[in-house]
Amino acid sequence: MLTAAEQKKPTLWQRARHLFAVARHEPANLIGLVLAIFFAYLILAPVLSILVDSFIVQSGDEARTHQDEGSFTLYYIVRTLYSRISEILLWQPLYNTLAIAAGTVVFSMSIGVVLAWLVNRTNMAGRAWFATALIVPFMLPTWTFALAWTTIFKNRTVGGQPGWLESLGITTSNSVAYGYFPIVFILVLHYTPLVILIVGNALRRLDTQMEDSARVLGAPSRTIAFSIVLPLIRPALMSAALLIFADCIGEFAVPYILGLPVRYDTLATGLYRALDTRQNGVAAVIAAVIMIIGVITLLIDVRMMKEARRFVTVGGKGNMDRLRKLGRMRLPASGFVGAFVLIGVVLPLLTLFLSTIMILPGRFTLENFTFDYWIGSNLDTVALSKGILLTPEFWQAAWNTIVIVGSSSMISGVLGLLVGYAVLRCSFKGVGSFLRQITFLPYLVPGIAFAAAFLSLFAVARGPIPALYGTPFILIIALVAEKMPFASRSGIAAMTQLGKEPEEAARIAGANWFSRMGKIVIPIQAGPLATGILLPFISGIKGVSLFIILAIPSTDVLTTYSLRLLDYNYDQAANAVVLMIALIAWLGTVLIQKISGTGLAQGLEN
Amino acid sequence: MPTITLTNLTKCYDGNTEPSVNQVSLTVEDGEFMCLLGPSGCGKTTILRMIAGIEHSTSGEIAVDNLVVDSVHQSCFIPPEQRRIGLVFQNYALWPHMTVERNVDFGLRLQKVPAQERKERCLDVMGKLRILEYADRYPSQLSGGQQQRVALARMLAVNPGVLLLDEPLSNLDATLRLEMRAELRRLHQTFGTTIIFVSHDQWEAMTLANTIAVMNKGQLQQIGTPDEIYAEPSNRFVAEFIGNPKINLIKLKESNDKPINVASHILARQSQAESRLAEVCAIRPEEIILTDNATSHTLPMTIENIMPTGGSWVIELSFGEDRLFHSTQSRPKWREGDQINANLPTPSLHFFDHDGNRLALTDNDKELDNLLLSSALPSHKYANQKHTNQPYAKQA
Repeated sequence: MLTAAEQKKPTLWQRARHLFAVARHEPANLIGLVLAIFFAYLILAPVLSILVDSFIVQSGDEARTHQDEGSFTLYYIVRTLYSRISEILLWQPLYNTLAIAAGTVVFSMSIGVVLAWLVNRTNMAGRAWFATALIVPFMLPTWTFALAWTTIFKNRTVGGQPGWLESLGITTSNSVAYGYFPIVFILVLHYTPLVILIVGNALRRLDTQMEDSARVLGAPSRTIAFSIVLPLIRPALMSAALLIFADCIGEFAVPYILGLPVRYDTLATGLYRALDTRQNGVAAVIAAVIMIIGVITLLIDVRMMKEARRFVTVGGKGNMDRLRKLGRMRLPASGFVGAFVLIGVVLPLLTLFLSTIMILPGRFTLENFTFDYWIGSNLDTVALSKGILLTPEFWQAAWNTIVIVGSSSMISGVLGLLVGYAVLRCSFKGVGSFLRQITFLPYLVPGIAFAAAFLSLFAVARGPIPALYGTPFILIIALVAEKMPFASRSGIAAMTQLGKEPEEAARIAGANWFSRMGKIVIPIQAGPLATGILLPFISGIKGVSLFIILAIPSTDVLTTYSLRLLDYNYDQAANAVVLMIALIAWLGTVLIQKISGTGLAQGLEN
Repeated sequence: MPTITLTNLTKCYDGNTEPSVNQVSLTVEDGEFMCLLGPSGCGKTTILRMIAGIEHSTSGEIAVDNLVVDSVHQSCFIPPEQRRIGLVFQNYALWPHMTVERNVDFGLRLQKVPAQERKERCLDVMGKLRILEYADRYPSQLSGGQQQRVALARMLAVNPGVLLLDEPLSNLDATLRLEMRAELRRLHQTFGTTIIFVSHDQWEAMTLANTIAVMNKGQLQQIGTPDEIYAEPSNRFVAEFIGNPKINLIKLKESNDKPINVASHILARQSQAESRLAEVCAIRPEEIILTDNATSHTLPMTIENIMPTGGSWVIELSFGEDRLFHSTQSRPKWREGDQINANLPTPSLHFFDHDGNRLALTDNDKELDNLLLSSALPSHKYANQKHTNQPYAKQA
C-alpha cells in the first residue's frame, strides 16, 4: 500500500499540512487564537497605552511642555522623578506605600501565624467556631473598617459630623485618627485572615509523620517547630506575604478615607489625585511605578515558587488530628483569638450599625436612636428625604451593581474556563503560554492603575470601538480584565484537574466539539464554574478603585454611591449602604460554600 | 471487518529527540486478540492512542481496512470521533456526572439511534457485562471492576469493529483479574471484535492474547503467539523480559580466562562455529534438570537457597561465582547446602550474538529447529524482521 516515495522521511511541507489536518479537528486552537487576540486588546493594549502616555504630551499640556500634543517628551518623567515637586508627587507616596505594605505584612504575618497555629493545632476552646469567625474580616470590604474607624476616632481636623470620642469630649490626636497607624491597623485586620487561611491549610496538609519521626529521634517541641514545621510551611508563608504586599501596594480605599485628611498620600491615592487634577502624564508615570513594583513582586514570587517546589512533599496518611494540649493557657488563648474577632468583626460592624441609627454621633441616649436613615420618610435633609431602603437611587445603584458586576463575573468566569481549555488543549505551545501570561498580567497592575489605563484607552473612540467612557461597558470590560488572573487560574486548575480523558472518551464515542462541551466538559465543571463566577462577584462588589475612576453618576454602583454620600456628609446613609454591601458579600460567600462545599480557603489559594 | 495496518509508524513528542514509537510496522488481522507488551515507556500506549486518533503520527501510516486514517505523507488525519474505534482507558474515564446507563447510551444518542432500539441495545450490553443492576448508579458508587465493565459496555454499545484496551487488568485486584480475564475472553468470542490491548504484565499478555507484539524503546522486538515468544525469543531483550523467574543468562565471551565455569562447560559441548559467535547463552529456569548422578553432561552445583512460591519452588544454584536459578513444580527433595548435578540440555539453550540477536541453532539440533518452525510461524508476523534486529547494547 505504501509507495516507495513514502518510505522516505516526510518533507517539511507534508508535515506542516499534516499538522494542519490534525489541528483542524481541534477547536481549542481557534478558541486559543481568538482569546489571545481578545486579551491582547483588552489587557495588553491598556497597559501599553498607559506606558506610552508617560512619554507623550497630553492634551492641555502643550503650553507647559512647549511641544505639540502627542509628541514625544520626557517632561512627565522629569516632573515626577526629579523636579521640585517630585517629593510630593512620587517619593513621599512611594515611601508611604512601601511603609504601609511592609508594616501590614510584618504584623499580619506574626498575628496570623499564631492564630493559624492556635486554630489548627491546639485544643483551644471554641476552635471550630473561631475557624469560621476569624475569616469574616476578609469578606468585608477594607473601607468598612476605615469608615468604622472614622466614626469613632474622627477629630476636628476635618469638618462634618464629629467622631464618637470627639462628641464624648475626648480629642483624638491626628496620628491616631488618620495616617499611617490606622491604615496599617485596618489592613492588618483585613489581611490576617488570609494568612490564617493559607498557613492553616499548609499546617493541615503537613504530614504528621514528619513531626513524629523527629519526636521519635528525641527532638523537643521547640526544635520540631523551628527545624521541621517552619521550614516546611515557609513556601506558604512567603506566598501569603507576597500576596498581601502586592495587594497593599494597590490598596486605594483605606488611604483615601484615612490618609487624605492629613495629606498622607500613597501611590494609589496620588495616582487618583493626579487623574482628578487632569495630570494624565504624571498619572501614567505613577501607574508605571506601581506596575514595576508589581512586576518585581511577581518575579520574587516566581523565584520562591521554584525554590519551594524542591520540597513539595506528598502527604502520607494526612493529619491525625493531633492537637497540642494548652493546659492552663487554653482559656487565655481563646481570649486572644476572641479579642481579634471582637476588634476585627464585632466592633466595626456594631459601630457602623449604631452609626446608622444615631442622629448625633456619640450620644448614647434613647431619643438619639432612630431607624429613619434606613426606612424613614420626609426627612429634613437636603438631598435625602427618605431612608436608604426607600430611596430609588439606592436601588438603582444596587441594580447597577448586580448588572455590572454580575455580568462581568459571568463573562470572566466563562472566559476563564475557555482560557483553561485553550491553554491545555491548544496544539501550539506559544498560544497557550501567551494566554497564561497575559491573563495574569492584570495581577501586577493594581486596580487604580488599570482603571487609569482603561480611561486612557477607551475614553475616546478608537477605530471601530466607540468612546466607552460613561457607559456601563467600560466598567464591565475593565472588571472582566481585572478578574482575569483569578478566573484564568481557576479555569486552568479546573481543566487540569478534569484531565483530557473524559473528553477523549467522548471523542471516541463519536461526539463533536459542541456535544463534548455541552454534555461533558461544562456539566462536570459546573461547580468550579459557579465558584469562578461568584468569587469575582464578591470581590467586585467590594471593589472601589475601578469604579471611582470609571463610573459616572448614571452608572453609579453601591460603592461609589456610598462614597458620594460620604462626601456629602450623609454619614449615616453612607454607612447603611456599606453595611448592605457587606451583607451581600457575606451572603455570596455563604452561597459559594453551599455550592462548592469546599469553602473559601481553596478558592482563594488558586 | 477491519484489519489494522501500521506502516513505519513513528511518533516523536515535542522536545524529545528519541522517538517514542520508532518505525513500527505490523498488521492486526480481523478478529485477532493482540497484546502490545513491553516495559513502561516503550511506546505501546502511544501506538494505541494513535490508532484511536487521540494522538497523531510524526511519520508513517495507519490504515483501518485499507482506509488511511493517519498519514503524514498523504496529509491525512481522520479525528477519533469519525473513526469508530472503541478505546477503554486505563482508568476508565467514565463521566462522573452521568449514571451508568447514561454513560453506556451516550454513543448511541450521538448516533441518533431511536429511543426504543437504544434502550434495547443498552440493556443487552449491560446484561452481557452483568452491570444491569447498577444502571442508575453513578460511577463513583461503583467498585473498580464494575467501573471497568461500564467502560467496556460504553464502548461495546456502539458496536465498534475494533476495541482498544489500555492495561485492562492492571487496576484490578487478584480475584477480579481472573474474573475479568475470563470475561474479556468471552467477549472476544461473543462479539468477534478485533481487540488490541496494551500491557506491561507478561501474565496478562500470555493469558489473554492470541498474538503478542513485544516492544522496547519504541521499537517492535518480536511478534508471535505466546508460546513462540516464550520458546524462541528473537533477541536477548525478549528472552529476559518474558518469563518468571527470569531466564538464566550466562556470559560466554568474558569467561575464557577462567579455568572452569558454567560458560566453559557449555562451550565445551558446542562444536559448531555459530557458538563461537555467541556472546550470551540463556536457559529457562525450568529447563535445567537436577539429578543426583553425575554424567558427562552434568555440572556439579551447590544448592544455595530454596524459595517456595506457593505450588512451585525456585532453587538458587551456584558453581564457583556463577549463579543459576532453577524452578520446579515438584517439591525438591534436597536441602540448602546439598551438592547436586545440573544438566543444561543443549536443545534448551538459547544463544545470542554481540548485538543481542538470536543465533540459529547448531546442526545437532536441526530436528528441534524444524519442529519449532513447523508448529506455528505465520509468515505475516515477521513482516518487520528487520526491526527485530536491534543492537543489544542499547537495551541493557
